[in-house]
Amino acid sequence: MNGDPIIRLWGVAKSYYRETLEIPVLQGIDLDIPSGGYYALMGPSGSGKTTLLNLIAGIDRPTGGDLEVCGFALNGLDDDELAGWRSAYVGFIFQNYNLVPVLTAFENVELPLLLTSLGRRERREKVEAAMERVNLTDRMENYPRQLSGGQEQRVAVARAIVSDPELLVADEPTGALDSKNAEEIMALLEGLNRDLGKTIVMVTHDPKAAHHARHQIHLEKGVLDRTVEVNR
Amino acid sequence: MALLYAILVPYLAWLTWAALRYPVPLSYNWRSLWQRKVSTCSTAGAIGVVVAIFVVVLSLDQGLSRAFVSSGRGDQAIVIRPNSRVELSSTIERDKMRILKTSPLVVEDATGPLISSECVVVRSLEKADGDGTANVSVRGLEPAGIRMRDQVRLVQGRWITPGLNEMVVPRRMQGRFMGLGLGKKQTFGGRSWEVVGVFDGAGSAFDSEIWVDVVALMQAYRRTMFSSALVRLRSAEQVPGFAQMVDHDKRLKLEVRAEPDYYADQTEAGQPIRILGNLITVILTVGAIFAAMNTMYASVASRTQEIGTLRALGFRQHELMASFQWEALMLCGLGGVVGVILSLGFNGIQTGATNFQTFSDVSFAFLITPALMAKGLAFSLFMGLAGGGLPAWRASRIPLTEAMKGG
Repeated sequence: MNGDPIIRLWGVAKSYYRETLEIPVLQGIDLDIPSGGYYALMGPSGSGKTTLLNLIAGIDRPTGGDLEVCGFALNGLDDDELAGWRSAYVGFIFQNYNLVPVLTAFENVELPLLLTSLGRRERREKVEAAMERVNLTDRMENYPRQLSGGQEQRVAVARAIVSDPELLVADEPTGALDSKNAEEIMALLEGLNRDLGKTIVMVTHDPKAAHHARHQIHLEKGVLDRTVEVNR
Repeated sequence: MALLYAILVPYLAWLTWAALRYPVPLSYNWRSLWQRKVSTCSTAGAIGVVVAIFVVVLSLDQGLSRAFVSSGRGDQAIVIRPNSRVELSSTIERDKMRILKTSPLVVEDATGPLISSECVVVRSLEKADGDGTANVSVRGLEPAGIRMRDQVRLVQGRWITPGLNEMVVPRRMQGRFMGLGLGKKQTFGGRSWEVVGVFDGAGSAFDSEIWVDVVALMQAYRRTMFSSALVRLRSAEQVPGFAQMVDHDKRLKLEVRAEPDYYADQTEAGQPIRILGNLITVILTVGAIFAAMNTMYASVASRTQEIGTLRALGFRQHELMASFQWEALMLCGLGGVVGVILSLGFNGIQTGATNFQTFSDVSFAFLITPALMAKGLAFSLFMGLAGGGLPAWRASRIPLTEAMKGG
């Protein structure tokens, strides 16, 4: 953790609208997350954790406030620019892995690299390195249906890191896994943070998973409640 | 049509560019099609049937046109009464025929001048499939008339003897009508005519005619006038000169038409088939486009999370639109290949249609050419564009957050 904020939020708000009815989800979020940090977003269902994660990852747009992530003011980017920004700076890990079922593990991991100017050989080298990192080099030609849940999530982690993004966002990454596999994934994320200096923001309900993070951000009814440092 | 091209050409150019430039691999779309085997196969099958019908209708038209177009020689002319579009409704008196035969422009071969006085009547024959009768043209002609139609080849028996009640029949007609075997007899004009020979007209209009001696035919039908004259000139360039000469001769009052032009006009005989075929094709095409659209909409609906994932990873909306449009093109292109293969089953099959100018049967063969197959494939791709456009647009417009939730 070098201390410079990689994520900065100023009074960020998000509301959804059902016809004319405004449903506020997040209100007045001010937040700084330093580069190399490992943060767990926690809170009860409906507290706005996933919405906040989506805003940080450039998947959704705020209805109020400003946010700057990886040096970019996201409000100023149009949809295509935001897509380009995501591919360059953010790696995604989802609860249900979200692998493309018709692509092999190798092809799934290669997807983010198809958006770069890398040649076939360079892509292969990077995919192999990412698969080695998650210890799945022997499963590269398998389709997702031929993998266990834990293996699928490791492929998803490999896909998230293959383009070497500064920021990893994870939405309940252990939510669909048994405790053994969950522990493996958490160890993997911890290693990425510790060894490669990746900034990680993770939504989780699981206190065990949250314990792997260095900080926990607690949300309550769309408002930032508190940020605590994890003592290990 | 111009508007259609104005839309399609830039769109296709963009899609081609997208396939080369955009990062979504086409293999992703191809494999996705096979994720839903049943709906892919049933849609491709339905499109295949429509494409097959489209190609077969075109081949019918082409076969018919070929029958007429291949019938004429550029250096030959048909002389008929003015304003009678076909020989059947034309009459030429004997003295006029004598004047024509003395024309210095008529070419001679070793046997004599290449001009044939001809008489055409229509005779009803029983169909071989037992489905009633159909009219066929019976052409009375002189020996020169046989020599002048050099695409016609005797394949069995011998040619007719002048003055006798003999006939030669096309091989292609034998399978379609009863009583046309060698040695068989047919009664018409109150006389019995024996089949003494079988010829092959090489797909020309003569494959739809029975040939007899002109004198014998006119005697049988008590005709005093011929229907037409077929004249060979030195070259195609002499046809206008010959027409001018006939036109200026006050005794004749006849019309001269270059033989290819005369038969080209006869291709209008295919118009009713063409209209009916086009109508059926249009109706089926609309159905097939909706089938493709439905399949693609279902595919997009079941893949919202997948689409969301791709967008989250950084794939842009227009890249996904191109990707799904390509998927629809693959689906319909697959149908196109199936359709072309199905249509090949019709290649070479003999059939017949009524020429509504002469009310007689025209025999011809379905002809599935590479150009027609290409048209069939292009047609299937058009269905892919029309049926896949809206679902592809829908896929690219799904809000990212909705897609991430899986719809």
